[in-house]
Amino acid sequence: MSLRSKALGIVLGAGAAGVMLSLAFGAGCGGRAAHSTATKLPPADAQALRAPQAFSSIGDKKERSRALFLEASRVMFHPRCANCHPAGDTPTQGDDFRVHDPPVARGPADQGVPGLECTSCHQDRNVELARVPGAPQWHLAPKVMAWQGRTPRSLCEQLKDPARNGGKSLAEIVEHSAHDALVGWGWKPGDGRVPAPGTQAEYGALMAAWVKDGAECPREESQP
Amino acid sequence: MSAPNKQDVHIRLSRRSVLEGLGLVAAGLGLEVVLPSRADASPMPMPTSLPEIPANGLRANVFVHVAPDGRVTIVCHRSEMGQGVRSSLPVLIADELGADMAHVKVVQGDGDAAYGDQNTDGSSSVRKIFDDLRYAGATARTMLVAVAAKRWKVSPAECEARDHAVFHKGTQRVLKFGELATDAAKLKVPEKQAVTLRPRSELKHLGKELPLLDGPDIVRGHATFGADISLPFMVTAVIARPPVAGGKVARYDATKTLAVPGVLKVVELPAATKPFLFQPLGGLAVVAEHTWAAMRGRAALDVTWEGGDNATYDSEAYREQLLEVIGKPGKVVRNVGDAEAALAKAAKRVQATYNTPHLAHAPMEPPAAVARVEHGTCEVWATTQNPQAARSEVAKALGMDPSKVMIHVTLLGGGFGRKSKPDYVVEAALLSKAVGKPVRVQWTREDDVRHDYYHSTSAQRLEAGLDASGKVVAWHQRIAFPPIGSTFSDATFAGDGEMGQGILDLPLAIPDIRMENCEARAHTRIGWLRSVANIYHAFAVQSFIDELAHAKGTDPRDTLLEVLGPSRIVTPKDLGVAKVPNYGQSLDEHPVDTTRLRRVIERVTGLARWDERKQQGRALGLAAHRSFLTYVAVVVSVVKDANEHIRVDEAWIVADAGTIVNMERVRAQMEGAVVFGLSLGLYGQITMKDGATVESNFRDYRLARIAETPRKIHVDIIPSDGRPGGIGEPGVPPVAPALANAVFALTGTRVRELPLVKTVKV
Amino acid sequence: MSIRLRVNGTQHDLDVDPEMPLLWALRDLLTLTGTKYGCGQALCGACVVHIDGAAVRSCVTPVRRAEGRDVMTIEGLSPDGSHPLQKAWVELAVPQCGFCQAGQIMTAAALLAKKPKPTDAEIDQSLAGNLCRCGTYTRIRSAVKKAAGLPNE
Repeated sequence: MSLRSKALGIVLGAGAAGVMLSLAFGAGCGGRAAHSTATKLPPADAQALRAPQAFSSIGDKKERSRALFLEASRVMFHPRCANCHPAGDTPTQGDDFRVHDPPVARGPADQGVPGLECTSCHQDRNVELARVPGAPQWHLAPKVMAWQGRTPRSLCEQLKDPARNGGKSLAEIVEHSAHDALVGWGWKPGDGRVPAPGTQAEYGALMAAWVKDGAECPREESQP
Repeated sequence: MSAPNKQDVHIRLSRRSVLEGLGLVAAGLGLEVVLPSRADASPMPMPTSLPEIPANGLRANVFVHVAPDGRVTIVCHRSEMGQGVRSSLPVLIADELGADMAHVKVVQGDGDAAYGDQNTDGSSSVRKIFDDLRYAGATARTMLVAVAAKRWKVSPAECEARDHAVFHKGTQRVLKFGELATDAAKLKVPEKQAVTLRPRSELKHLGKELPLLDGPDIVRGHATFGADISLPFMVTAVIARPPVAGGKVARYDATKTLAVPGVLKVVELPAATKPFLFQPLGGLAVVAEHTWAAMRGRAALDVTWEGGDNATYDSEAYREQLLEVIGKPGKVVRNVGDAEAALAKAAKRVQATYNTPHLAHAPMEPPAAVARVEHGTCEVWATTQNPQAARSEVAKALGMDPSKVMIHVTLLGGGFGRKSKPDYVVEAALLSKAVGKPVRVQWTREDDVRHDYYHSTSAQRLEAGLDASGKVVAWHQRIAFPPIGSTFSDATFAGDGEMGQGILDLPLAIPDIRMENCEARAHTRIGWLRSVANIYHAFAVQSFIDELAHAKGTDPRDTLLEVLGPSRIVTPKDLGVAKVPNYGQSLDEHPVDTTRLRRVIERVTGLARWDERKQQGRALGLAAHRSFLTYVAVVVSVVKDANEHIRVDEAWIVADAGTIVNMERVRAQMEGAVVFGLSLGLYGQITMKDGATVESNFRDYRLARIAETPRKIHVDIIPSDGRPGGIGEPGVPPVAPALANAVFALTGTRVRELPLVKTVKV
Repeated sequence: MSIRLRVNGTQHDLDVDPEMPLLWALRDLLTLTGTKYGCGQALCGACVVHIDGAAVRSCVTPVRRAEGRDVMTIEGLSPDGSHPLQKAWVELAVPQCGFCQAGQIMTAAALLAKKPKPTDAEIDQSLAGNLCRCGTYTRIRSAVKKAAGLPNE
């Protein structure tokens, strides 16, 4: 059971009702006087995403962008998404990030190894009567796109770095988030699996709003 | 030389016309057997169905036939499930006969008492019928030689049978077997006393590496297993069984099921009642045009179950109960001296408690059977270890005379004891009767894991007393597990058969011993699984002796040899028991011999370089056990990988199984036993909640995979011309304790509960 | 709905639920029973076949995925058992019960087609999804190497 789980350095499933979104301004940051604010946001339960409008009370555009990213990161750190963004050579599965069974290997193109490709088992959609999840082009995120073990800030920086995001522009990232079918699987995982919070459209909207507000990255210690 | 495959089935179905075309058919036989014409009415009963054997020629007995064209047909009457029986028994018969395997066809015997016991379990196929099979070949040889001698007007003693012919030693005259067969068939079959077995030296294949009979078919996908049978008009059934053994359907609505395209019918099967015996579990069978429709139909069933007596069974709570039970005295089954008094005055006492869980067999091929009930007969094709039980159970369920039931045995995709229980065969027969068509019953993997006859769960308490010098002077052991007998009666105590598996027959050079059998009631179907009660007995005993070594500060190997004692034959009196069940064989032929046990221990530790065992990052563990009349010792090497997980790196297994028939398959069985033992030692566990099995498939009933298998498994077989012992099972029991002992040596963590995954990172 | 596919070189038009797993189409409709059902959940590998040369687990592959493509089962790996893997499997007497071996061989064939000289680690990775309850793994490893013309050890 948990003995097969990978210990992960990320905090999962925050966003409990009434969470306080702490936006701490680190001392010396940007040369401004140290101060901190805490903005009260509407509560969101674990399965919901707050819409971009919920963040309009944050007057500072950069802070708003950071807060939007933190909210969106709840999706990215969710097991439905992060399981296939491992830092190592094998994906994980389940809500506790167990090592994938069977113990598949990433392979040179992140699509498995000969004889045991991702698509040897995973189809273009979830399979009836078998618990195998499916979506078009099922594969692992490349190692440089690993999300497991990242902080929201490092995830954000990675996401903006074309060398580590598949050469995508910010607009392309927004588009990918909002419409990619494999990304979309996270919200219809099938077989009683807990879906990622919100909807793909809501996630796409958050990412778009984040980019619109400057695609700022959260501070190192910030957590959703 | 092919496995029973689909072509054979079609041949069987139209066999009459085929045989007629060849001019071979005797009158009025249809699908029934073709009995060879015989000059006299032999007292030997013949099977009521035996396809694929030519009508004329010599049929000396149920096992061997020599045709006038020289073709020899040998029946393999035991089930092939990977243990290599089809690549072994027929060769033994052929060797006695003097036949050339190139001209021998092996056919699979149907279920019929005429063959004697066909239940392929207990590692019994060679050890129990070695001589009988030799006599089968020798009888045919004697008859062929008699004909040749008569033709040459010489004494049979001057003739020898070899290379598919009889030779006259003096003149080098030769008559091929085929030339002798017709006349030989006219002879009276000689009595056993008139038949002489060859000297061992003439059995030219005995103990050699023999070819794998079904290998070529298997690698081409042509071998036929239970579910591979296809009959005209056949339909497929998938059954929703009560989640709790003994439960039943409370209510159901099949509307959605019947709306699934391809679903034909839903049939309610009668619920099973205690004792469970080989009854089907009941439930709702979804009968459909093909498997996919049946599976979808079952998923769409709206059914409510009634749990019955076992609905409160919780294996975790039961584990605690068993621990309480072994805290109190049980029935004394073995006593030497006064263990209580000896413990009281011991300088040091060591005590430990061991637990093992239920296990599922999980053969790669889930249970499956095809049945066709028509015209007052029932014909079955099944993956079964026990075709005669299948025959009698089907007959009973259908209210038919057993002579009207024919059981064809396919290859088995693994058995491990599961397929000795023909509940699934009865399901197919009942459903064929209900729908009036041939029915294939396909168990899903979930069915297999959730409706098994489970290996029993156990608790044992062991205590030993050491004197001031460290010598073990007292041994006290209490054992509790729901017995196999509970499946057949209301038994709550293990029987002699189970106690005879490593308790009553355990050699111990200790002056005061007491072993107690404690009461345990079963709450699910209990069955036998490869090596049975030896698994938990060997785990506790071999772990405990390793613990004693630690307590004494001595080498585990030396301690094991010391506790087992010097080379000797151990008698029931020495053991402190009235009788040693000895796997149904006599102690005269198969004594409990510590010389042999010591030899395998010494050999395996030599091969594994035991004396150099303390290397950085690697440790060895040892265990040895006698079961099924075979002596096995195992050394396992464990290492820690980069993630601090324990990995089994290498294993050595040495067996003394007496005379070997097919050395190659014996090696294969020992290799497989190591992996089987590692699977159960590392991961194997069935848990039950509210009476139902929690696990469902390989995701939660985990088996060792290729990368979890030792890089090397070294097998060594002690050369012997002694009485043959068992092969399929005896390799398993020492594996888990050797593993646990290795883990202790590596980490200092003593694992007293299986599977290891509950205690250490593996 | 009719699905057209080629299996071992023969074209078939199957009137079938497109979501029916390829396994059952092969076994129940085409009576190609060399491909085995072991778990139905892509956990054991007994059902591995090739679609256009890639190994797939037919128990979870809808038959529609094979539409217009070439399916190869164990029966089609060679006309006469002469594929190097089949020969190595027989020579080393790999099978015990034999039930998982079609899947093992088909998986190994997909491996060797792309990696003719695999390392031990690569063999273990490619066959990681193929269970063998009889425990023939050490011989499977040896047979793959033998078929690849690699020395054992």
